[in-house]
Amino acid sequence: MSEENWIEVGSTDSIEEEDLIRFDHQDKTFCVYRLTDGFYATDGICTHEAVHLEDGLVMDDEIECPMHQGIFNIKSGEALSPPACEDLKTYPVKVDNDKIFIKID
Amino acid sequence: MKNNIIILGGGQAGIYAAREIRQNDTESNIKILSEENLLPYERPPLSKDFLLDKKNEDDLYFHSIEVLKNENIDFENVLINKVDFEHKKLFSKNEDVYTYDSLLISTGSDNKRLSLDNNLNDDVYYLRNLEEAKIIKEKVSDKNKITIIGGGFIGLEIASSLSQLQKKVTVIEIGNQLMGRIIPKQIADLVQNTHIEQGNEIILNKQIDKIIKKNGIYEILLNDNSIIETDFVIAGIGSTPSVKLFENTNLKLDNGIVTNQFCETSIKDVYAAGDVCNFYHPFYERNMRLESYQHAQNHGICAGKNIAGVKTEYTSIPWMWSDQFNLNLQLTGICDDYDEIIARGNDINSGVIYFFLKNKIIKGACGLGIAGKVGRDIRITSKLTEKNTIVDKQILSDQNQKLNKLIQKQ
Repeated sequence: MSEENWIEVGSTDSIEEEDLIRFDHQDKTFCVYRLTDGFYATDGICTHEAVHLEDGLVMDDEIECPMHQGIFNIKSGEALSPPACEDLKTYPVKVDNDKIFIKID
Repeated sequence: MKNNIIILGGGQAGIYAAREIRQNDTESNIKILSEENLLPYERPPLSKDFLLDKKNEDDLYFHSIEVLKNENIDFENVLINKVDFEHKKLFSKNEDVYTYDSLLISTGSDNKRLSLDNNLNDDVYYLRNLEEAKIIKEKVSDKNKITIIGGGFIGLEIASSLSQLQKKVTVIEIGNQLMGRIIPKQIADLVQNTHIEQGNEIILNKQIDKIIKKNGIYEILLNDNSIIETDFVIAGIGSTPSVKLFENTNLKLDNGIVTNQFCETSIKDVYAAGDVCNFYHPFYERNMRLESYQHAQNHGICAGKNIAGVKTEYTSIPWMWSDQFNLNLQLTGICDDYDEIIARGNDINSGVIYFFLKNKIIKGACGLGIAGKVGRDIRITSKLTEKNTIVDKQILSDQNQKLNKLIQKQ
């Protein structure tokens, strides 16, 4: 795992618990979540229709799309409820000195 | 116990019921009988991304045939034209007989149709199924001026799509606002503004007196004697439950098939789900009929559980959406019985929501915003509504305060 793939997202206190922030890097959008047991990251656009998940609701381990209520598991990316049927891509996250990093391939 | 379970109607409620039954019952035979020779497909894109060529037919199916085969769910294209509830039999047009132990009726709804007193009824097009969407898409391709009769969800979604295809669109609505059956006027007016900004003409408070055809052009005569000239006419004026098959049976009908909170009809072992039902909602303590994606899905799932013996009440708080241009409109709860309205936001770029309260308890909300901007708050409102929450109005009206706080306080 090369160090250069870890991209700094921001400080840990920039995300409230059970919430998310949007993070744009180059031409891609990601969502970074703070759940009760840590930080997670997924693609930032719903797989159903091109809408930003940053406006969605985080409940337990799930993110619900704000447009049509498709639901994904944040940790696995699994599409749990229609109209979403294609899984959401997830990314490794690490915290170092109160800073969040995600590994983008 | 191995039963024969028949699902009459191959739409969204039917397929979700079938899969739910299979999850709870690996033994029984499950057969979906569908009038359309198509696997169950999503209807919302028909008036939007399908017309705009952003989605094609293959993108619309809920599941492939392989999924149904893996779950041992049979799907048959057949037109049933007689029902014998006493002997638990269905008869096809070709006199094939289908015997059931449990029956789910999920026949959906049909378009209300205009009744014109000349021979132009076939010149008015409707959009409910894939076939109709294909016909409209093909027919409008060489037309310019399109008139849509009815300013409800379907009419406005088609108006939005055709406008994006550079058509000159006129919408004629009989009421004094768009989407007047369920959407508050404040939100309807914002939607109307967007249509006008995008070049669509919106005519309110007008009835159609007559349509005549001259040299391939239609003249729509309105009740104020004005005339709209148009190349093509589409109507979206509501729907009626598809119950014709049951009209001379002892199945209880009243604006649809009457069901209780367990999707049970007045006849033992006969269930109904989706658009066709006038179902009892225990939260609202009354019957209602809904036509929406979420309802078709969740009601189908609920019926599936009950058919499989998992007794389950249907308690979903209504939720629906409409996408027009880059706007996403959402409604949750029932917004016609309130004593106070609280507004949140005043710019559709960040979302505008109206909350409806009665005796300080939140009853529902309707919001509009650029794609997805109101979704989280509308979803939170559903959760607050189902718990009869007394809300802090200060938080509701202040867009800088997240509504998540209201849930967490419970």
